[in-house]
Amino acid sequence: MAREAFLARVKQAAEIGRAYRVEHQQLAPDVGYVGVTGDACAKLAQEIDAVGGIATIVDSLGQAREILAGYLLEAEAKTALCWQHPLLMRLQLNELLAERNVTRVDYDSANSLTQPARRLEQLACEIGITSVDLAIAETGTLLMCHHPGQERLASLLPPVHVAIVEQSQIVPDLLDAFRILHERGVQNLPSNITLITGPSKTGDIELQLTTGVHGPGRWRVIIIR
Amino acid sequence: MNSSSPTTETDYIRSTHHEFLAASEKALRTPSLQIILGQLGDTLGQRNRDAWQQLPNSDLVRQRARQIKDDTLANLHEHLQTLEISVQARGGQVHWADDGHAASKIIVDLIKQRGYSRVVKSKSMTSEEIHLNPALEAAGITTVETDLGEYIIQLAGHRPSHIVGPALHLSAVEVAEILSQPAGRTLAAERETLAAFARQELRQKFAEAEVGISGANFAVAETGTIVLVSNEGNARLTTALPKMHIAVMGMEKVIPKLADLPYFLKVLARAATGQKLSVYTSFVTGARRAGETDGAEEFHLVILDNGRSQILGSPLRESLFCIRCGACLNACPIYRSVGGHAYGGVYAGPIGAVLTPLYDGLAANHHLPHASSLCGACQAACPVKIQIPEMLVKLREQMHDEPTLKNGMESFAYRMWAKTLKRPWLYRLSTWLATRTVGRWYRKSPWLKKLPGKLHGWTKKRDFPAPAAARFRDWWEKEGRHGS
Repeated sequence: MAREAFLARVKQAAEIGRAYRVEHQQLAPDVGYVGVTGDACAKLAQEIDAVGGIATIVDSLGQAREILAGYLLEAEAKTALCWQHPLLMRLQLNELLAERNVTRVDYDSANSLTQPARRLEQLACEIGITSVDLAIAETGTLLMCHHPGQERLASLLPPVHVAIVEQSQIVPDLLDAFRILHERGVQNLPSNITLITGPSKTGDIELQLTTGVHGPGRWRVIIIR
Repeated sequence: MNSSSPTTETDYIRSTHHEFLAASEKALRTPSLQIILGQLGDTLGQRNRDAWQQLPNSDLVRQRARQIKDDTLANLHEHLQTLEISVQARGGQVHWADDGHAASKIIVDLIKQRGYSRVVKSKSMTSEEIHLNPALEAAGITTVETDLGEYIIQLAGHRPSHIVGPALHLSAVEVAEILSQPAGRTLAAERETLAAFARQELRQKFAEAEVGISGANFAVAETGTIVLVSNEGNARLTTALPKMHIAVMGMEKVIPKLADLPYFLKVLARAATGQKLSVYTSFVTGARRAGETDGAEEFHLVILDNGRSQILGSPLRESLFCIRCGACLNACPIYRSVGGHAYGGVYAGPIGAVLTPLYDGLAANHHLPHASSLCGACQAACPVKIQIPEMLVKLREQMHDEPTLKNGMESFAYRMWAKTLKRPWLYRLSTWLATRTVGRWYRKSPWLKKLPGKLHGWTKKRDFPAPAAARFRDWWEKEGRHGS
């Protein structure tokens, strides 16, 4: 009953409130579109650096593997929380991790464990490795749709998050990203979508920037041309 | 809201109150707070200006965001119904709460029914508004705030002092003292050390929690999506790890379509912290689906009225456009002098001076609409261009219509003022008298620090401009005419 009374009250108030509507002007449909002109890879890398990440542009999968190997070393990784993704397959991530004696934790390995054991394993990973659905050049943002095999926790729990991006995944502006979500069908949104623009940050102590408070403090993006 | 008046120097930081004048005086005498408030304009101001400059036609984007809010409110009931259908279609449940008490009860019942007792919360002004934490505590439910600022003030027993930076009023040394207690050792007053401790401590809480409670920056009716914006990532952990996710939102947070969202995202972070986008923006659409290994198994959305429908049908309807960015606080000379706790309620600053009287009663909060210089800086800073000064004036008008708030002395003074203005000879006489007496005595300072008798009430909190030593009309007779 609470529901009917609630909605009836809101309906009545909304109707009375129309007398106080504010005046509007006609606005062009592309208001707010910034986009980028020129090299989208370079712009994406520049913006990622500006928000406190480190972006590297490479020309081949082989070069991307080398950079990633460096990050594994830097993170002193023994276990890596990974997405299952076609781009990571092409990168031969499995082989790279095996060479470096890094244990791969992913959807398949997690599914063989009970929930508490799975959590403990995920919490202990030193590095998270993902790709993206889209990358937005104008703001240096990675857009990730989460599905089985492409978990939220990979970009969230470990202290280091590395994302591998291909040029074809880059769009100029946030509005382009929303247009693509629309084309895929808004009725089919995944249970979770995350936009990531930088390493985890806080300004809660004396307004000064501090990184890594909850999510990864180190955020690395490898962009393949 | 408690009506307890602050008695000791720092009580106003802990409890809600209606003592704006007393609390602001204490705030003005707190050097550490004054230092931090001084930095607020310097650090955020420049960053905000830079971020706005990088958005071409930012004025029109703000206009569009404003337009979407206005259109949505015109048929709010329909959008809420659409939201309900969408949430249900994705396996979630919607709950309707007439007031804060009802909302807290719904949430407590949901948790108790399942035998859960451990809650992690991400930052939510709405949950502050309904005093959710005390209600959970009273029900024996352990609740941990996970936003760093909120975690700090929860341990200290303070109220948030800023919409975006709740612990802004504390120095690193004070934060170190507060966090040293759960740490069981003395932590160094370094930001990195303190943040690292909080990360480790809160990881444990996240791992144990059965319930995650969040607010909602936006709720998309079309898709049943709750949008959460944060920089730390605690909102993501809150919604990814526990078994149950409960989101609580004011009913005005609904927006019709996913396509409306980017305009708000483009302005929200710029206005709040001078970022183009906040670090994390999460779209939570229902509970975990088949095959997924993270996300809550159960999703509940609590939609709150708590006086909002009253506002919706009033000339102050526009205050419901607020997207809680805190920009008006940072821009406001009053907020930057007295800080957030002086305002007494949950929402501080210019928008708080509008919202608190609306949610909590005008009579009890009659100082707040006057706690403004009406300089317009708040409106200029607002990403959805809420006409805050105009609304403060409207609230002042309403106060005049409320007989209980009438001040006999003040009414008398205004009546005399009106009579004087209507009679030229009387006006001339009074200005002649004022310049010959007070004007001549106070040549050294243009300000009177203390007015006599009852008029002292005015000068208690501000100075009064002294009359000039000569009347303008006399000066004009003597000098002005030769000017041109």
